[in-house]
Amino acid sequence: MSKVRTIGADVWKHKTDKVSLELFTLMYGSIVSQLCDDFEHDYTKVNQQLDKMGYNIGLRLIEEVLAKTGLPRCHSFRETADAVTRVGFKMFLNITPQLGNWSVDNKQFSIIFPPGTNPLVEFVECYDERARRELWYSNILAGVIRGALEMVQLSCETEFVSDVLQGAAQTELRVKIIKVLEDEVPQGEE
Amino acid sequence: MSVAPRPAVPAKPSSSTPNFAHERNDSVSTPPPPQQTVYDRSLARKRGEVSLSAFAYIFSEAVQYCHSRSKDVSELEHRLNLLGRHIGVRVLELTVLREGKNAKRETRLMPMLQFVHTHIWRTLFNRPADSMQVSTEEQLQYMIIDHRPLVTEYISVPRDMSQLNCAALVAGIVQSVFSAAQFPCKVTAHSMGTDEFPDRTVYVVKFEDSVLKRV
Amino acid sequence: MIYSLYIFDRHSDCIFRREWHKDSGKKAGINDDMSKLIFGICLSLRNIARNLTDSDSFLTYSTSQYKTHYYETPSNLKLVLFTDLLTVSLVNELRQIYETLYVEYVVKNPLQTTEVKTIDNIMFSMGVDALIQSLPGYA
Repeated sequence: MSKVRTIGADVWKHKTDKVSLELFTLMYGSIVSQLCDDFEHDYTKVNQQLDKMGYNIGLRLIEEVLAKTGLPRCHSFRETADAVTRVGFKMFLNITPQLGNWSVDNKQFSIIFPPGTNPLVEFVECYDERARRELWYSNILAGVIRGALEMVQLSCETEFVSDVLQGAAQTELRVKIIKVLEDEVPQGEE
Repeated sequence: MSVAPRPAVPAKPSSSTPNFAHERNDSVSTPPPPQQTVYDRSLARKRGEVSLSAFAYIFSEAVQYCHSRSKDVSELEHRLNLLGRHIGVRVLELTVLREGKNAKRETRLMPMLQFVHTHIWRTLFNRPADSMQVSTEEQLQYMIIDHRPLVTEYISVPRDMSQLNCAALVAGIVQSVFSAAQFPCKVTAHSMGTDEFPDRTVYVVKFEDSVLKRV
Repeated sequence: MIYSLYIFDRHSDCIFRREWHKDSGKKAGINDDMSKLIFGICLSLRNIARNLTDSDSFLTYSTSQYKTHYYETPSNLKLVLFTDLLTVSLVNELRQIYETLYVEYVVKNPLQTTEVKTIDNIMFSMGVDALIQSLPGYA
């Protein structure tokens, strides 16, 4: 547990090549903007595409987390949630979002970004009424978490439930753990 | 060059947005904004850093996405170039704004090239480009050279796409910086690796004739 | 002497294999059936080790002819290396292949499709060759 608390910051400080946050933010903005064009402002489709891209990223990014931290398997969902925020977010985006709203069975929790902490929206303001209601601008993060957790055998659902860009007081990403996946064996075996 | 106080990335392009609110006062019908909006924060200070891999991952997805919508390598490069153009115009505003009192609008070609080579590169990559050359073959053609382009760091191009250079994104950024500063041009990225710098990339900037009339 | 390397993904597919010293007479016989058998035996041994000790302690097994070195990541990537009996444990080297080569060249390559079917990546295979051939027990 104590390793989880410090290793994210440690990797960020000593093992991470860095790039300007602005280039990152503008790159993401450019992608979202392009998707809005390509999908003719059908924001449901844009949200889906962002989620899909994030999922693909999650599948890859977890390998880097494991390689750089040497973290072992987590033994509880609370430990997993801690690793997501303190290691995952810290080593890639240099932020540590808050955890909260745990369900009674400990299988659901929220990752919370207070205003001004989400690097994806650094220069972003949603002008358009409909986009403001329908677009989950940071939806790529929902996919990233789902993909990364799936690689460590945790099947889960992830969705944004509020967003500062939509006028909410904070941005909240809900994570529901569905089940622990079994090892896959080759077809024709067993 | 126009120094807009807020190079915000619109979540959708402004041109096709009928109720694009230029001033905060216009948006009376929208719900009350959070205590502090994006406009209340100073742009003067640099915003810090994220990991290079975080950038590599989203860039990766952008490449995959563009690839899935392109019929060949040149269309893929064109799409990457377009993505870059979104970025360039904003990077120009941000960079000029940060010059503070020294900010000025470059109207002459050589100082503008120098500005891109040094300052724009700093905003984007935290260091100047490695060198700049004037083409001896073509008029109004210049080369900006980067020995280790950040965007191609992790890329090993498969044989069937050997023509591809993902630095097309940066070419798009550079093209849009020049164009927004009223130096219309086309920029293309070319891999010209050396033994020492296998990823060395040359950005060829070909200005339109109209630029010549002013120089 | 180092004979061959196999890498399996979480779907149990063999995504990479490489042979050295092909002409040394020890027929490792690289083919699909062989890969499946190797996967099967490693998974079984790992599961036995897990049941016995409640931890991931399976690192290596030996027969009278060869030795197997095994490294598995929490993301279920499995690396299996075959060597002769004299070779010391190379589990750390497998870990190094994962950390420095797989993550850098395969995972971060934008042109690699997300769920890797086979690793067709020159930087990766050259890196693996260089690392393996630099080991004292290679030849």
